[in-house]
Amino acid sequence: MAADTVVETRALTKVYRDFWGRKKKTALNALDLTIHRGEVFGLLGPNGSGKTTTIKLLLGLLFPTSGDATVFGEPAAKVEKNEKIGYLPEESYLYRFLNAEETLDFYGRLFDMPAAVRRKRAGELIEMVGLGQDKKRILREYSKGMRQRIGLAQALINDPELIILDEPTSGLDPLGTAWMKSLIRDLQKQGKTVLMCSHRLDDVQDVCQRIAILYGGDLQELGAVNKLVEDQKRLEVRATGVALTDDLKRDLTAVVERHGGKLEAFGHPTTTLEDLFLRIVEESKARPGRRYLPPAEAVAAR
Amino acid sequence: MTAPLFGLLIVDRDPLTLRDLPGLVQVWLMDAGGFAMLGLAVYLLYALRIPKEQANSSKDRAGVSGLMLGAAALAILCYAVLGFLMLTRKGGEQVAEYVSDPGAYRKYVPPALSLKPQSLALTLGGLFAVIGIGAPFVGSLLKLRSRRVFAIAKLGFKEAVRNRVFLVFLFFLVPFLFPANWFIQIKPEDELRTMIGFSSLVTNLLLTLPAALLAALSIPNDIKNQNIYTIVTKPVERFELILGRFVGYAGLMTVALFGMTTLGWLFISFGTTIDEKAKEETFKARVPLYGQLSYQSRRGLIEGINAGREFDYRKYIGGDPATSQRAVWNFDAVPSTLSNRPADLPVPLEFTFDIFRMTKGEENKGVDLEIRATSWQAAQQPPADPKDGVWRWTDPAKEQAYKKDATELVRKLPGVTAEVAESNPGSVLSRAKPGTPAWAVVEKLAETHGYYEATGKEIFDYHPDSVPVPAGLFRFAAQGPGTGVEGKPMPRLTVAVKCITRGQMLGMAEPDLFLLEGDRSFTENYFKAAVGLWCRVVLIIGLAVCCSTYLAGIISFLAALLLFAGGYASDHLTDMASGKSYVGGPFKAMSQLLKAEQSTAQTDPNSAITGAVEGLDKGAAWFFRRVINMVPDVYSYSWTNHLSEGFNVPAGALVMNVVVLFGYLLPWFILGYYLIRSREVAA
Repeated sequence: MAADTVVETRALTKVYRDFWGRKKKTALNALDLTIHRGEVFGLLGPNGSGKTTTIKLLLGLLFPTSGDATVFGEPAAKVEKNEKIGYLPEESYLYRFLNAEETLDFYGRLFDMPAAVRRKRAGELIEMVGLGQDKKRILREYSKGMRQRIGLAQALINDPELIILDEPTSGLDPLGTAWMKSLIRDLQKQGKTVLMCSHRLDDVQDVCQRIAILYGGDLQELGAVNKLVEDQKRLEVRATGVALTDDLKRDLTAVVERHGGKLEAFGHPTTTLEDLFLRIVEESKARPGRRYLPPAEAVAAR
Repeated sequence: MTAPLFGLLIVDRDPLTLRDLPGLVQVWLMDAGGFAMLGLAVYLLYALRIPKEQANSSKDRAGVSGLMLGAAALAILCYAVLGFLMLTRKGGEQVAEYVSDPGAYRKYVPPALSLKPQSLALTLGGLFAVIGIGAPFVGSLLKLRSRRVFAIAKLGFKEAVRNRVFLVFLFFLVPFLFPANWFIQIKPEDELRTMIGFSSLVTNLLLTLPAALLAALSIPNDIKNQNIYTIVTKPVERFELILGRFVGYAGLMTVALFGMTTLGWLFISFGTTIDEKAKEETFKARVPLYGQLSYQSRRGLIEGINAGREFDYRKYIGGDPATSQRAVWNFDAVPSTLSNRPADLPVPLEFTFDIFRMTKGEENKGVDLEIRATSWQAAQQPPADPKDGVWRWTDPAKEQAYKKDATELVRKLPGVTAEVAESNPGSVLSRAKPGTPAWAVVEKLAETHGYYEATGKEIFDYHPDSVPVPAGLFRFAAQGPGTGVEGKPMPRLTVAVKCITRGQMLGMAEPDLFLLEGDRSFTENYFKAAVGLWCRVVLIIGLAVCCSTYLAGIISFLAALLLFAGGYASDHLTDMASGKSYVGGPFKAMSQLLKAEQSTAQTDPNSAITGAVEGLDKGAAWFFRRVINMVPDVYSYSWTNHLSEGFNVPAGALVMNVVVLFGYLLPWFILGYYLIRSREVAA
């Protein structure tokens, strides 16, 4: 395992079985994944694709049927690895009879943090997530967005190296969403590794460097976001000071020069991540056996 | 001086003491070790069948250490040795005990430490099995952090408080609002007893049911509401979750119990008008010294007569001036509280006997007793002649010396004729009251000869009574080696009771007679009795939390409640397990129900159905024997009778309560540890 590898899975598989041990569903099938230190990694997929199962396996909330999952080089079942992890669940599953201060104090104690450190860290985080005015209110009285903010604060109480965010912008208004994305970028600047899964593809495209797309428990696509959204079948020409006419398209370079314009770019146009996502889902439905295969050079490098 | 009024304490068994600890630990290792071996075998079979290519995390979860394998091998070896010894019938306990009446009451005797080869093999096998199965558990304990455990504990406490669970406990006050209506009593002196019994019952119910419910629902609710996701994704050992919940609810219930106990004490002490007689009987904490009861006659040790009472807790001796039958209490040691007692402070000997009348007695007249207290130096023996009812000293020279001194001293008493002093000095000494010149003679004789006799003491059926015993007797009894012929240890003190009245029978059980060491404070006793209640509450919390690591909330609640309630039927279960239940086993009972037969109806021994039913009952008894120790001994935590009858709750017994409690809970905690460790909380 490379020194900068934070998360690694090898043929990670999870099969749900019934009481009698009969197979009910393969939630995740032989997932191979590596997440490097300092990157923001996105897990994408429709409902039931296996992305939450992957996160739960990495956190030890579920046990793999076969294969391995390591975090910081430790098996996912080891409790010690959690010292360096912060986790924000999809719903903010916090104790609603506690207020914000008590909540952070409770989670700080679980990290065995001394009282003075807990108080200082909790104060900073409450201010950071903008709940200074509401820190004495119990969470039952909070809106969904406020609960998401305090949930994020609890995920950061231990100043983790790896932050796992399950639908981090869920329940946030546009301003809150922008704030969350800015926070994720800040975390990356601090050298933290972020693993997030989201249905909001624009959010993922904005903050993630690499993504994995899952469908039916299989890994369908893996790579850098800007590479994956490239359309290799067409060329794109960018020009300024000239209208894009049919004549221009026929004899592009010559016409631009002949009309006194200046050619700025000549390359592949991009589509949106949403288009890519929908296309892959459609293809996966049409071809049930389809799955991601790593490039030949990557396989050779292993 | 005599004690003013008395209490009657019926105890089916003596409280455990620290002396019983080695035997209890051995039995614990035998029983818990058996379950541990079963668990270890299942665990190793599961762990070793995980294929090598399976996920590392699977192997981490079901890791097998060298210690586990070594301990398992040693345990198997010990059990194999045990099997061999059993097959060859060597090195076992002598259990051939003749019991003339299988249904008769038998006092519980705590297990003693046994060094017989079979017992040792079973103990060592159990020890190795416990080490094997407990090794990962101990490893997990070493990783515990008090801050995390108390964080989870505080969370449970806070949750209960903020969800206003405390309001339930206010129901405790209801019985005290209308004491006159609630506490129905027959006699005024029973008022306090009834009040204590009722408040104890209410406290018990108000604490155990909510405690079981809270504890049983906590972990399943965390899983259901997915709060557990944010806990187990922190560096929290799974066992910290169990321990935290356990400590939290135990703390909550301790606060509630303390509040209820204090309120109860305030109400009883100051809040209501209580009959003076009741206060005299109950507002104290007698410290009794019990002896070991045996029944003796000229034939030696006898079983005691069964008078035909339904509850044969007591045995009887016949009444006659010429009878040699005695109920004899032996006291092995004389505590310093008695041997250092000043001469002017006699020791009350308290007793309550059952009179079974064979003939109609005289109206308002009881039966007469002869009570003889002797030290080891003045050992007595029954007469050989069947017509002679007088026990005599084993050493005639000592008897002569006593008679000589008694005659001389009684002669000097004012108002005693030389003839009386010469012929029957005992008649003067028997009537002596503390503080009189005659009592000074009694004291002196007791201190020099170790002998005291009270003759003609009239007692009434189930009426507590007492006689004073001179303090000098205890000083004398405490001297010397306390050994008899060939250096054999003897009881330091013996009290022999004879029923003089002809045609009546006197019934007694061991706790019916005791020496009163002293009185302690009722308040202290009230709070000490609450420790037993605390043990029960902690017990049900521990059970419920451990069950909830695998079962759903409400099922855990019912399972914990079933085990707890099973503790109340432990005597019946023990009878069934040992096949001594005189009404038969569950299948015989079912058969009788279906056939509408009475439980005492004769069954045809040649019938195939009878054979099948008996076979099934034997199978049920075998099963009960295997699982009987899973049922907690709930009764041993009840001190209500001690409190309401005004008897001191021994501090040593409370320590043993706590030891037994955690000894019982430990295997459950280990089971809970394995269950929660193997559980996918997000599944």
